[in-house]
Formats: sequence, C-alpha cells, structure tokens
Amino acid sequence: MARIIVVTSGKGGVGKTTSSAAIGIGLALKGHKVVLIDFDIGLRNLDLIMGCERRVVYDFVNVINGEATLNQALIKDKRVKSLSILPASQTRDKDALNKENVGKVLEELGKSYDFIVCDSPAGIEAGAMMALYYADEAIVTTNPEVSSVRDSDRILGMLASRSRRAELGLEPIKEHLLLTRYSPKRVEEGEMLSVEDVEEILSIPLLGVIPESQAVLKASNAGEPVILDTESDAGKAYQDVIERLLGETVEFRFLNVEKKSILSRLFGG
Amino acid sequence: MHRVVLFRKNFIMADANIEFKGSSFTLSVLHLRTSILADIRADLAKKVAQAPDFFCLVPLVVSIERLTCAIDYQAIKTLVEEFNFIFVGFTGYVEKEQRKLIREQGFSFVNMAKVKVAQKVAIAQETAVTETKKIAASPQGHLYTDKVHRGQIRSGQQVYAKDQNLVVIGSVSAGAEVIADGNIHVYGSLRGRAIAGATGHHKAQIYCQNLEAELVSINGNYWLSESMEQHWGDPVYIHLTDSELTSSKLI
Repeated sequence: MARIIVVTSGKGGVGKTTSSAAIGIGLALKGHKVVLIDFDIGLRNLDLIMGCERRVVYDFVNVINGEATLNQALIKDKRVKSLSILPASQTRDKDALNKENVGKVLEELGKSYDFIVCDSPAGIEAGAMMALYYADEAIVTTNPEVSSVRDSDRILGMLASRSRRAELGLEPIKEHLLLTRYSPKRVEEGEMLSVEDVEEILSIPLLGVIPESQAVLKASNAGEPVILDTESDAGKAYQDVIERLLGETVEFRFLNVEKKSILSRLFGG
Repeated sequence: MHRVVLFRKNFIMADANIEFKGSSFTLSVLHLRTSILADIRADLAKKVAQAPDFFCLVPLVVSIERLTCAIDYQAIKTLVEEFNFIFVGFTGYVEKEQRKLIREQGFSFVNMAKVKVAQKVAIAQETAVTETKKIAASPQGHLYTDKVHRGQIRSGQQVYAKDQNLVVIGSVSAGAEVIADGNIHVYGSLRGRAIAGATGHHKAQIYCQNLEAELVSINGNYWLSESMEQHWGDPVYIHLTDSELTSSKLI
C-alpha cells in the first residue's frame, strides 16, 4: 500500500509546493517510487518548481474526466527515474475535482507507487479538502509567525474531522509539523516564534525545521528543487526530513545562530 | 450576622448540627403589569384554574419592575397566598430606595439573577426553603454530568456541552470555542473562548491550567484578554461574585 502524504498549511505562501517538490525528489532519491500530485487546480505551480512546465500535455483534470489515461498525464522526472509528476490544470477551477474520481485515481496510482505526495492548495475550501481527504499522513507546513500557526491549527482540525479516515472512524491521519523559513537570529531577537512556541501551540510531532535560505528562491526559479542543492542549509534540512519520514532519528540542525569564529570574522566569511 | 453568613457562597459553618450553604434554584416569578388588585386577582384565578395542582405550594417571587404607581406590598403578598403560593419576596430592577422601603415593611427583596434570598425569608418562610430544595434535587436543577473531550480543540472548532459540564483533556486553541451549560475544565492551555453557564447558571466556573483566553464568559458576564492580565499564563479558575467575574489562582 502506498503512503498518501498531503502537504498542507491553510495559509498560502508558506512553502507547501517547495516542500512537496523537495520531499518528492528526496524520497525518490532513496529509491522509492514516488508520484507528486498538484491539487492546486487553476494555480499550477508544482511543474514550475520541478522544472517540467514545458512537458505538460495532459493534466489531473483530464484524467478525472476520462479525457486522458494516467500514463499519458504522468510526467517522468528527468533527474530521478522513480519520480513522476501529475500536474494540475491551469485553465480549470477547483470544482473540477470530485471525491469519487480522485479516489479512483489515487487507488490506481497506489498500485504502482510507494509514496503519493499531494501538494494542497491554500485555504480551507473544496480544493484543500480534496487534497487531504484520502491522506494517511499530513505534513503541516508552517512559518514561525502567528497567522500561519493559527491557520495550521485550523487545518489540523479539518484533518481530524473532514478526512476519509475521520469519516470512517479509522486510525487518524498521522500529523507532522514542518517549520519553514526559520531564522534563529530573528527568534533570538524576539521577532519570530521559536520552534518550542509553535510546538507548544500545535502540539504535533516535529518533522523538520527548514532555515530561511537564499537557496530556496534560486532553486524555485531554476526549477531545481532545493534538496538537490546539497551545499545549502535548506537542502540539508530537507534531507533530514526525508530520513525522519523513513523512520530514522536525526538530530535537528540549524536551530541556533551560528557562532562565527574569530578567523572567519577577520576574513569576512 | 446571619445575613453575612448566608450571603457568602459555599460557606460552611463550623457548627456540627446545622450548616448554611448558598445554592441556586429555579423559582417562578410573577411579573405584574398592573398594581390594581382586582385585575391581578382575576388573571391569577384564570391561570390557577387551568392547573390548580401545578401551582399549589409553588414558591413565588413577584416582580414589580414594570409597575410605576404606588404598590400595596402586603396586599399583593396576601393575594398570592390566597392562591396557595408560597410567597418568597419581591424582585425586579428597581431603585435602591424602593428596595429599602420593601425591606422596611418586612418583605424580602430578591436580587435578579443572583439568587440571593434575604435571611428573613429563610427563617420566616421555612416551608418555602424546603420546597425549593425539592426543586433543586430534581433533574432540572444544576446537577450536571460531564462531557469529556480528549485531545486539543483546534481553531475554528466548537464544542458545546448541553446541560453538562465540559472537561477538555488538552488545550483549546486560539480561535476555538468551548461552551457548556455547566462548568468548563481545561487540562491544558485555554487560548480560545470559553463560555460557561451558557443558559443562565451564575455559579458556573471555568478552570484551566494556563489562562491565555480570547474571551471567558459566565452567565453572560464576560472578560476579554485585557481583563485577564492579572493571572495571564497562570493556572486559574474564574467564577462570578455578584455579577462580576473574578479569577483566582488554582495553585
């Protein structure tokens, strides 16, 4: 059985798509068969981050409507063979999806993939509900600021009440907290909520802390998910996330301000 | 002396044979729209004739709030007793002077929404007290059972314990709402809204391990965050004294 993981947040612009892309590639690099689905119908972004926007012929909505087969719509990643992307439609809106057909597509994909990563749209409307409905696990992407935390809390309430698992009374969705755009320096200055603050409010297990990094924007624009940038802090932090998703215990990094040595200060490093 | 004792809620006298305790009861209130005795008598007779057993020996408080002209208090008391009611006292939002006048004439004045029966009534009208105690013992009294919610109550969620106390084993997030007709206990942080005694129960209380609420309300009296500064972040319970909210530390 494939693990269906939804990457969600409630609030927009916190890094859902960036994280989906990184996690998708990361899992595939570990040898797992992974499919990334863009649920943000009408605001197609995942293909850009993945750098496959020019290879989109058919999309998720075509498959739902029976206008194309899954194999026609799935785009094979050029970097990692075991990764496929199911892009969203840019011309339709979120009502184009319906529970029954989405369920069928996920079931079909489940036969040949180990992980199905669903990139949720922002908000708490039909589109976001559709993305989380069939999930087994949820990665709640949160920025260390109050509005993002509040929206994540709202989404956690939805996961516990509106998902298939909740409706059928099955074991609840496994929740993970992914804190993105974290800046230890600003936390120290009291401008940003700390990891502990967010953990205390949301009280779900921490999956990872991604430091604020220039590398993320660069990677997005280049269509090269940041996890492939193994030199960057953000890339390393995402690799830790993958290890934890696969059940390893990895110590958290980048939580504290790096102390510069006298030498590097002298040489402006 | 007695009066002070009676007015203190939950105060238990050290005496072995008797004890005074404050309790809240459901009492019938007769609202008068006129002070003309003949008219009141006619209406009362009609009402009582519909269900004589139901009204027999029912403790009755008479509200004079809507009356503007002179009132013969003794005559009203005699009149309701004629119909087999147990007269408890007068009530209504009236001027201080009028309240004083009523007391001077030997009648008790029951403050609205505060269930404070003056000491005179408690002693002089013993029958009334035993009668009201029967009412309290019935299921309509405030003997609430508990509704237990395990886990955090998230932003946007609402939990209502109808005719029950609410026990939350977990935190109540900002933007969440917990409502109970009885008490609310939060074994975690209270960051959202908590409304206790929602259908009118002024003895309802709110307990939490960490007070960071957006709003707390008991029987319609509420506080916003700014009123909670004194005990912000503390384990506290919130209760009503008269019609004002008070918070006290739990530990």
